[in-house]
Amino acid sequence: MTDLASRGAPHAAPTAAHPKRVRLHPFGLDGAPTLLISLTTGAALIGLWFLVSWLRLVPPLFLPGPEEVLTQFLAILDDGYAGATLGEHVSASLFRISTAALLAASFGIPLGLAMGLNRWVKGVFDTPIEFYWPLPPLAYLPLMIIWLGIGELSKIVLLTLAMFAPICLSAQAGVRSLPIERVNAALSLGATRWQLFLDIVLPSALPEILTGLRIGIGVGWSTLVAAELIAATRGIGFMIMSASHFLAADVVFVGIGVIAAWAFAFSYGMRLLERALVPWKGKS
Amino acid sequence: MLHVHNASVFFSARDGRVVHALDRATLDIDANSVVVALGASGCGKSTLLNAIAGFLPLSDGSITLDGQPVDRPGADRGVVFQKDTLLPWKSVLDNVALGLKFAGVPARDRRERANELLRMVGLDGFAHSAPHELSGGMRQRVGIARALATDPKILLMDEPFGALDSLTREQMQELLVDVWARTGKRIFFITHSIEEALFLGTTVVVMSPRPGRIVARFDLDFVRRFAQERDVRAILSDPRFAELYDEIRNLVHRPHDRSHEGGDRPQ
Ligand SMILES: Nc1ncnc2c1ncn2[C@@H]1O[C@H](COP(=O)(O)OP(=O)(O)O)[C@@H](O)[C@H]1O
Ligand SMILES: [Mg+2]
Repeated sequence: MTDLASRGAPHAAPTAAHPKRVRLHPFGLDGAPTLLISLTTGAALIGLWFLVSWLRLVPPLFLPGPEEVLTQFLAILDDGYAGATLGEHVSASLFRISTAALLAASFGIPLGLAMGLNRWVKGVFDTPIEFYWPLPPLAYLPLMIIWLGIGELSKIVLLTLAMFAPICLSAQAGVRSLPIERVNAALSLGATRWQLFLDIVLPSALPEILTGLRIGIGVGWSTLVAAELIAATRGIGFMIMSASHFLAADVVFVGIGVIAAWAFAFSYGMRLLERALVPWKGKS
Repeated sequence: MLHVHNASVFFSARDGRVVHALDRATLDIDANSVVVALGASGCGKSTLLNAIAGFLPLSDGSITLDGQPVDRPGADRGVVFQKDTLLPWKSVLDNVALGLKFAGVPARDRRERANELLRMVGLDGFAHSAPHELSGGMRQRVGIARALATDPKILLMDEPFGALDSLTREQMQELLVDVWARTGKRIFFITHSIEEALFLGTTVVVMSPRPGRIVARFDLDFVRRFAQERDVRAILSDPRFAELYDEIRNLVHRPHDRSHEGGDRPQ
């Protein structure tokens, strides 16, 4: 016994500090980090862009070089473009999308919850929502313009409609995913219907609601830019559209970059919100 | 006194056929007793418990608690489920205090009471943990504390330890006896483990499937003995224990003799 232990010791000692750690062979991604690969890919794409413009493989009219785009960005930042400063274009777009998101959420979430809970609400609202929501928003934009004019109202209503459906449907799905045992547990702890709604239904549906908001905002961005391309005098989409009339590809690139940056900021914000509001997601 | 009288439940199965899940069950649960329903899966144990909890209306028969008819869930019947139903967004403490919150108890009082209950189930120090940070056994302890918080007249437990490993399960059984001895709550407990039934029940009712009915009833005193002497070995090695084990085992496994249906068996 002692013999075995002492014989084992010298072999075990060097490996004890740095044991060879193993784990089951993974399949698929298995949470392997991809950040470095993604950053490298980004850098490589920008490098390629430099190379292509530097070698003049594509005429600059079609593909401006990175430094040209940067210069144009700084120029627009200083002087504005198409009758408005960059700040004015950006805030026009942000105002539209934020207002619409707020409206869509404040109608879509309560209605979705009600549709998940009540047969009548579900029956009444299912038909119109199922009818309009597969339509591409641009298909009914002309109607919005005819009814509501060319001003802010038509664009905000269009965006609200586009964002409303995914938010409403996911709030419904949130109620549907509520396990009956959770409801029964709350009822046998004496919950009233209102307490059941506030303390059980709402928090249970929250993860799905936030997913719906994220999808809604994604839909919002694509609808926003398209609407501004067609009917606006301010906004990033409008800026891109005017630039295209003058074949100013560098301005188009600036516009795309600005949209990309803001869309990323929004989805990052949503992720932070999710982490703050539903830290338990996926853990129970 | 909880009184179940001639309770029958019919479900309609998905294919449209009628499932006779519970057939004229009659059962009394007196003060300070632990009634254990024992039977193979599908014999209507959960159906009976769900009806007592008020989750399920009866097709026929009646259930009364202290003379009041039972027709909906309420805080006078605490339920512990097999699958824990703790709210993942609330701390352990707030989960235990949930029923008190529903009852409008001020925050300080309910925190105090919840801490007291957590101590009783051996979880002091975990008040501020999240449910997902606890093991299965610990979560069931929280479930028991939560069900006790509103001071219900009866505790209903549907295979609460069924998903636990056997070592944890034994600990939980002893914990439950402690809780029972301390609080004097009546308990309706479901299991498909004969040993668990014998160890915990002051009364064991054996159920059989298709249609689900109570086929035998045994009055026992092992749990009272354990509460006093706290000697598991003495109980497990009691020849009565082995005898009853065999008798019940035969009842559960053999397609039972129809002539004994519904009849009480002598102890
Ligand atoms: N909601 C339901 N619909 C149809 N049949 C059901 C339903 N619930 C239970 N049953 C049937 O009733 C019988 C008894 O079920 P249950 O009480 O859950 O049994 P146990 O808890 O003893 O395993 C089973 O045959 C089961 O399939
Ligand atoms: Mg069951």
